[in-house]
Amino acid sequence: MNDMRLMERVVDDTRIKISAKDVQVWYGDSHAIKDVNIDILDKTVTAFIGPSGCGKSTFLRTLNRMNDTIPICRVEGEILLDGENIYDRKVDPVQLRARVGMVFQKPNPFPKSIYDNVAYGPRIHGLTRNKAELDEVVESALKKAALWKEVKDRLTAPGTGLSGGQQQRLCIARAVATSPEVLLMDEPCSALDPIATAQVEELIDELRENFSVVIVTHSMQQAARVSQKTAFFHMGNLVEYGDTTQIFTKPSDPRTESYITGRIG
Amino acid sequence: MAQHILSAFDRDLESIQAMVVKMGGLVEAQLVDAAHALDTRDEELADSVRKRDKAVDALEEQINEEAARLIALRAPAASDLRVALSVIKIAGNLERVGDYSKNMAKRTKVLLQMPTINGSTGAMRRMAQAVEGMLKDAIDSYIQRDDKLAADVRARDIEIDQMYNALFREFLTYMLEDPRNITACMHLHFIAKNIERMGDLATSIAEQVIYLVTGEIPDDERPKSDSVTLANHPEV
Repeated sequence: MNDMRLMERVVDDTRIKISAKDVQVWYGDSHAIKDVNIDILDKTVTAFIGPSGCGKSTFLRTLNRMNDTIPICRVEGEILLDGENIYDRKVDPVQLRARVGMVFQKPNPFPKSIYDNVAYGPRIHGLTRNKAELDEVVESALKKAALWKEVKDRLTAPGTGLSGGQQQRLCIARAVATSPEVLLMDEPCSALDPIATAQVEELIDELRENFSVVIVTHSMQQAARVSQKTAFFHMGNLVEYGDTTQIFTKPSDPRTESYITGRIG
Repeated sequence: MAQHILSAFDRDLESIQAMVVKMGGLVEAQLVDAAHALDTRDEELADSVRKRDKAVDALEEQINEEAARLIALRAPAASDLRVALSVIKIAGNLERVGDYSKNMAKRTKVLLQMPTINGSTGAMRRMAQAVEGMLKDAIDSYIQRDDKLAADVRARDIEIDQMYNALFREFLTYMLEDPRNITACMHLHFIAKNIERMGDLATSIAEQVIYLVTGEIPDDERPKSDSVTLANHPEV
């Protein structure tokens, strides 16, 4: 029994999904990310923690080129997804974002029906051949996001009519529907109640079987609960990256220690 | 280390630390007094040791409750977590030292009804003093977060083992010499064994201090003196 629990926490350090090399990000003159090198593992939940403004969300957004939409933002260095630089000119950001999905802090469903919200991605990427297959994908995505039971009788109702927590789970379902390889989550539970949070955390744990999940969270307990790897950012630097257990029991950098123990540092 | 942003967290930690220090002081006094009562055949002091054990037990319970509360309400991490975990173990170890001191006081009262066994008192006194020193240093190393002093305590345990082995041999000799010594010697032997166990407990406290400071439990095998071979007494 004990061994099984230990096995669950073991991650394969050799299967690297995303490898960032010397990444720098500027917003105009402000140097937001400084020299970040990190290997994000496949089939692993990686948590980014750090105080507000430390660069964790900025770095997360570099992983699927969301920063492309900000004109003053400049990214340098390499981010390799399965060995391929995602900032290469021949990479299509839209295709990239189907492989690297994202869930944001505030739920942002499309002004469409619940069904169409989830079906949107599979449709534009041509992932299904017929209506029956699409129905199946929608149902399975909504089930994965722990929303199916609540919405199965009103799939044609607008997504914006759901409660905040339901909207967020709808966004997760939408992200999961395209079967991404990597799922980026930026504070996905900050608008959810504890039950919905637990459901999303359970979902994250399930997603780990197939995907690489990267989550930015301000809740250190959430990072401790859901992740196997934790990265601590501070003032644009990646201060410490290691096994979550090690970070939370025996951090090696005093800045990490101060942050996770809630000290003035 | 810097203060917590939440100052109540600091106050919680400080109050637990204060309880451990208080318990350490009480238990240290229990051991010193129990050894002194044995040495000077002081029945009154032995009674007082027995009575004071309740206060030690109550403190252990209080420390465990406070540590559980801290874990539940404050979700301590890293060094804070190590404080919460180590105080529980240290309090448990101190409580055992308190129990052994009480047991020593009980046996002292029984021994008062019997003639003295000459010759062993000096060795018993020296052994008790050595363990008192280890316990004091273990508690000091906790208060000062001094892992070097803790490592020193850990290294000293072998001396206690050797003293115990010597006493074991001595008691065997007395018992073989005159069977009328057996009852008293059996009690003295139990006391000696208990003092030796208290040395182990002081060592265990020192190990918790090393864990608290460094984050690692020392895993190298401590030098030990094997007492099992001594069971084969040449004349038995």
